Amino acid sequence: MKAVKGKYYFGGVHPHDMKSLSSSAAIEVLPAPDTVAISTSQSLGRPAEPIVEAGQEVKEGEVIARAAGPISSDVFSSVSGVVTEIKDVQGAGGAIEKFIFIKANGKDEKCYLPPLADPSPDDIKARIKDAGIVGLGGAGFPAAVKDSPRTPVDTLILNGAECEPYLTCDHRLMLDHTDEIVKGARYIAKALGVTNIKIGIEANKPECITAFEKYDDIQPVILKKKYPMGGEKQLIYVTTGRKVGMGKLPADAGTVVHNVATCYAVYEAVELGKPLYERVLTVSGMAVNKPKNLRVKVGTPVQTIIDYCGGELVAPRKVIQGGPMTGVALASYDVYTHKTTSGILLMTADEAAAEEPTPCLNCGKCADVCPMHLMPMNTAFYSAAGDFESALKYGQTMSCIECGACEYICPAKRPLIQAIRKTKAYVRAKVAPNAPAVRTPDQKGRSAPYVPPTVDRTTEKEEKKNG
Amino acid sequence: MDNTVVISTPPHVKSKKTTRGIMLDVAIALLPCAIAGIVFFGALAVMVELVAVAACVATEFVYYFILNKGFANKCKDAKLVCKKWLKQFDLTSVVTGLILALILPVSVKWYEIIIGSIFAIALVKMLFGGTGKNLVNPAAAARIFMFLSFSATLASYGAANFANLGDGYLLSGATNLSTLLGANPHTTLSPLDLLLGTGVKGCIGETCKIAVIAGFIYLSARQVIKWWQPLLFIAVFGFVAVLCSGFMFEGGYKFDISLFLPHILSGGVMFAAVFMFPDYVTSPKSRWGQLVYYIAGAVLVAVLRCLTQLETVSFVILIMNLFVPLIDKYIRPRPFGYKKEKKAKEEK
Repeated sequence: MKAVKGKYYFGGVHPHDMKSLSSSAAIEVLPAPDTVAISTSQSLGRPAEPIVEAGQEVKEGEVIARAAGPISSDVFSSVSGVVTEIKDVQGAGGAIEKFIFIKANGKDEKCYLPPLADPSPDDIKARIKDAGIVGLGGAGFPAAVKDSPRTPVDTLILNGAECEPYLTCDHRLMLDHTDEIVKGARYIAKALGVTNIKIGIEANKPECITAFEKYDDIQPVILKKKYPMGGEKQLIYVTTGRKVGMGKLPADAGTVVHNVATCYAVYEAVELGKPLYERVLTVSGMAVNKPKNLRVKVGTPVQTIIDYCGGELVAPRKVIQGGPMTGVALASYDVYTHKTTSGILLMTADEAAAEEPTPCLNCGKCADVCPMHLMPMNTAFYSAAGDFESALKYGQTMSCIECGACEYICPAKRPLIQAIRKTKAYVRAKVAPNAPAVRTPDQKGRSAPYVPPTVDRTTEKEEKKNG
Repeated sequence: MDNTVVISTPPHVKSKKTTRGIMLDVAIALLPCAIAGIVFFGALAVMVELVAVAACVATEFVYYFILNKGFANKCKDAKLVCKKWLKQFDLTSVVTGLILALILPVSVKWYEIIIGSIFAIALVKMLFGGTGKNLVNPAAAARIFMFLSFSATLASYGAANFANLGDGYLLSGATNLSTLLGANPHTTLSPLDLLLGTGVKGCIGETCKIAVIAGFIYLSARQVIKWWQPLLFIAVFGFVAVLCSGFMFEGGYKFDISLFLPHILSGGVMFAAVFMFPDYVTSPKSRWGQLVYYIAGAVLVAVLRCLTQLETVSFVILIMNLFVPLIDKYIRPRPFGYKKEKKAKEEK
């Protein structure tokens, strides 16, 4: 179908997208590493429970941990080898996660599910659950839960916006595997019982838009190049004109949103029977030797990936897992990829932001760019004083999607996202006082009360102490 | 990976704009006005500008040095303190000094400028917590303070150098409305004269409107201010002023749209609309709040100008500044997708 233009929404920022670093690199397959360490918390919700023991032999694609509860997902071995140990290690997000270490034995045995020919909607739903598919855009919400909405839906929206700077994995996937994505999307649409499929693609990827125009049942929507265009609520509004309120799910607006990478995973799961144990991610940044788009097995050490890309060009100032706007800053390469890891970025001092915050000017730029139309400066002001109730009242913090646009634009470089997370942590502690202090975060550290330690930002209090 | 890697919450990329950069932009935007002032009012204008800027910066430094904690320790390693001060110096005091100089008449005495600068920085800005914490615009407050303290010098506006004042024309910083309304119609200047500032009495930076417009274009292009704000202010002001001045005609109400240009081009309205009303610290944070702030400010200036001829713009800036916390408290944007409780209940 012919592409149409999306609606306009107030807010958003225009960071340098830096996508040209890796957008021309076709997807390469990273050779299987010797050892993988697979976290049992691969999705939002509770971590999966290991069903293997140390010393047990596993095949590629075999279930090693079962989903615990409705919002959780199965975890699969990404290599064929022997489980060496199961232990708690600090994950990339900073919280302690249970990791299953597997040493590859080079046998390359695969253990796939049987491929489905002409599946029924229930078959597809069951397969999406069995293949452990989670939202690959970054949040890692189990896809099976999304595909069983409580309210009737009429539209499936594919998220091909990829509004995060640097990342090009979805871009390459849309170019190299257009057919597969469309097939996967059709399976999801069949499972949901909808016929209306839309795909939102940012205007800076015209070749992807033309690639999707040749399918009759898919409506490409051209999105203005702006961050955060790929935010779920923004994408739904821009493509359909429906607003999803605070605390509401996309299904309440009659839509389901899936990332294009998720659609590709669904295609693989249904037609090939392959569970989700590898994904495409972008290795980029000015400090990496050869920026690439790689197909990486879940649990690969970041060090292996960096080595494959030719190592560091210069010493990086910041190493980020995920996108630069919402990703997690890594303290070492000694961490392992997840299902939701969409990028590894090595940033030089020029690119990475590490300025000292200066006093807030009340310029209101954060409120201007906020895609949710909130007042981040109020949250920051009141939460710094410990008055979280006022922070919630005047900042409307609970509607925040933590896109980072406010902190990006802030001329005073105030740590706004940190303040917002602190306020949200206060609410969580109030709602569930008995919850453990550290809960498993998703890959972006979101919805976790844990606030990563700030090395670069001396708070004003400390400054005063030091005189 | 060595140990120099930085860990922080996202986002890991940030815009290159800093407070200092924004203040530099404002200072650059003020340069045309400063230069026009020098051209019109001569070397004395340079003195006013330099003294005001120097006094403001010096006040800020002295305040930082003396009134922060540990004065004795600071005296020991003064060099380090200076370095630290320079590191956090964000040019706000330069901008305050420059604006203050540009809204003063050239006849002002040097010590009056210094007293005004100390008032602006020490009392209005630093005492409330420094950059970003002042309640009112320091330059406007200092202008009022000086007007009340040194009314003799402040009220006598210097004549422009090559001004054609043969007709005994008087159009001061605060618009003389009777002149504008044509008590002596043959002596009024044309809008073009007002635009260029030739033959206009007034403050150093406020007379040449072309320079103000140049600053406005620069600030808008650099996205320091929002382009619609000064335009809205001036449009509303001009319209209301025309409406109000209809009452001043002898022999009943008369709506005369030809007064629009003289109104907006005279006095300090344009300068204030571009450089003083949009001041970040003392203007509302949300779009709707800003809308209210500018419209209310414009109406207030227009009405007051018709009633009195005393310092309307500076007073209105202070009045509106004091309303900003109230505006911010009650006018907040509605979150995306937010529904009023009543409406949400109806849907259920």
